[in-house]
Amino acid sequence: MSQSERMIDIAGVHKTFVADHGTVTALEPVTITIKQGEFISIVGPSGCGKSTLLRLISGLDHASGGTITLDTAGRKRPVGFVFQEPVLLPWKTILENVRFPLDTAGVSRAEADKVALDLIKMVGLVGFEKALPRQLSGGMRQRAAIARSLSDDPPILLMDEPFSAVDLMTRDTLNDELLRIWQSTGKTILLVTHSVDEAAYLADRVMVMTARPGKLKCVHDVDLSRPRGEDTKLDPAYHALVAQLRRDLRTPGVVHGERAH
Amino acid sequence: MILRGIAGLIATLVLWTAIVYLFDVPAFLLPGPVEVFNRIVFLFENAKLTRHIWVTLSEIVAGFVFGTAAGIFAGVVFARFPRAERFATPLILLLQTAPKIAIAPLLLLWLGIGPTPKIVLIAIVTFFPVMSGMVTGLRYGEGSFRDLATVLKLSPWQRFRHIELPSALPSVLAGMAVATTLAMTAAVIGELIGANEGLGYLLSSGQENSDTSVVIGMVILLSLIGWAFYEVIELIRRRSLGRFQLS
Repeated sequence: MSQSERMIDIAGVHKTFVADHGTVTALEPVTITIKQGEFISIVGPSGCGKSTLLRLISGLDHASGGTITLDTAGRKRPVGFVFQEPVLLPWKTILENVRFPLDTAGVSRAEADKVALDLIKMVGLVGFEKALPRQLSGGMRQRAAIARSLSDDPPILLMDEPFSAVDLMTRDTLNDELLRIWQSTGKTILLVTHSVDEAAYLADRVMVMTARPGKLKCVHDVDLSRPRGEDTKLDPAYHALVAQLRRDLRTPGVVHGERAH
Repeated sequence: MILRGIAGLIATLVLWTAIVYLFDVPAFLLPGPVEVFNRIVFLFENAKLTRHIWVTLSEIVAGFVFGTAAGIFAGVVFARFPRAERFATPLILLLQTAPKIAIAPLLLLWLGIGPTPKIVLIAIVTFFPVMSGMVTGLRYGEGSFRDLATVLKLSPWQRFRHIELPSALPSVLAGMAVATTLAMTAAVIGELIGANEGLGYLLSSGQENSDTSVVIGMVILLSLIGWAFYEVIELIRRRSLGRFQLS
C-alpha cells in the first residue's frame, strides 16, 4: 500500500476509563490501516467498543494510548459523522439542517444552497426542503442526516449504527442508497452495525469485534463483486461470509488468561 | 374563552356596583366603578397619567430586558462551568431569598430616586427564573447535539446561537413568563418606596390623600398592564413550542 493511499492509520489505540471499582477497558489496543475510498464495516455485540473506536477516530473521545493518523491534509473537519439518531436541529428546516455545516464554515449562502439542494436530491428528499424534521419519517430524517454529513465534503464518513432505528424495508433501501452515494463520492466510510448481513453486504472489509473487553478479533476481506444488489444476496460467497461472521461473533476468540494482569 | 373572560369581568363590575349601592358604602371606603373610571379619565386629562404609565412601563421593559439577558448569560456560564455556579450560588440565593421590599430601600440609597433603582430591582427579580430556565434547558438538552457541535468544531458563539439558545428557548420563555409577575411587583415596590413619577408613585400619593378612587384605579391599571405583559410572553412561548420543543 503506498503512503498516499492510507486514509486512516490506527496504531495501538486503546481506551480505558476509571469506574467506581477500578479501571475498565473499553477497547484493547487496535491496529489497522484503512485505505482511501475503502468501505469498512465494524460489527460486534454491544460493549465491544465499536462505537468507542468511531468516537476516537472522530475526536469525540480521546484515546488512552496509541495514535490515530488521518491523511486529511489539515482539513478543519476531516470527518462527517452520522449518529444512531438523526440529531437534526428541530427548529431548522431540512434545507437549513443540511446546510448547517456549510453555514458554520462561512460558506456563502448561494453556494451552500446549491450544495445542499444537490445533496437533498441525492438522498431523495426533493420537496421536503422547507419541512421541519418532525414532519418527516425516521428513514427520511436519517437521509437528511446523511446529506448533512456530506455537505462540507469530508473525506471520511463515520456512521454509528445509522439505520438501527428504521424498519427493515427502509433499511435495505437506505443501504443501497448508501452504496450509490459511496460510489459517486469516493468517501472513505466506516460503518458500525450489529447486523452481520448489512456489514457483509456493504463493505470491502469487515472488522469483527468482541466484547468484555472490547477488542478487534479479526478482519475479513469481502470478495464480492461491485456494484452490489439483489444478486449479491443470492451469492453463495455472501452467505458463506455471513455465516463466518456469525461464527466469529459466537465463539470466544480470546485466551482468557490474558486478562489476568 | 375571551367571551367568557369578558362576561366574568362584566359580572364583577355589576357585583361591585351592586354592593356599593345596596349597602350604601361610603365613597372613601369603596367608590363605584363609574367613579373610579371617571377618576382615571381625570388623571389622564389633568395629571399626565400617560407620562406615569410610560415611566413605569419603561422601567419594567428595561429591567426585564437586562434581567433576561443577564439570566441567559449566567445560565450559559453556569452550565458550561459548574464551578462558577457553585461559586455564585450562595450570593444568588441570598439575593433571591432577601425580601425585595427590603432590598429596595438600599437600592434607592445607592442609586437615587430616579428610574435606575427600579430597573435594577426588576432585573434582579427577572434574573433568577430566566437563569434557571436557561440552565435547565441546557442541562436537559440532548447530549447528541453536543456531539454534533464537537464534530463540526463549532465556536462557542456558534454553539450558543445555533444549538444552546434554541434548545433552551422553551424553558427560558417559561422562566420569562414567571418573571413578568415578579417584575410588576418589583416595579411597584420600587416606586412605592421612593419616586416622583410612575404608577406606584400615584398609588402612594392616592393613599396619602385618602383618595380611594385613585388607589383602586392604579391597582386596576397595574393589573391590566401585568396581565397584558404576561400574555405577550405566554403567546411567544406557545408560538415557539411548535418549532423549538425537543421531541
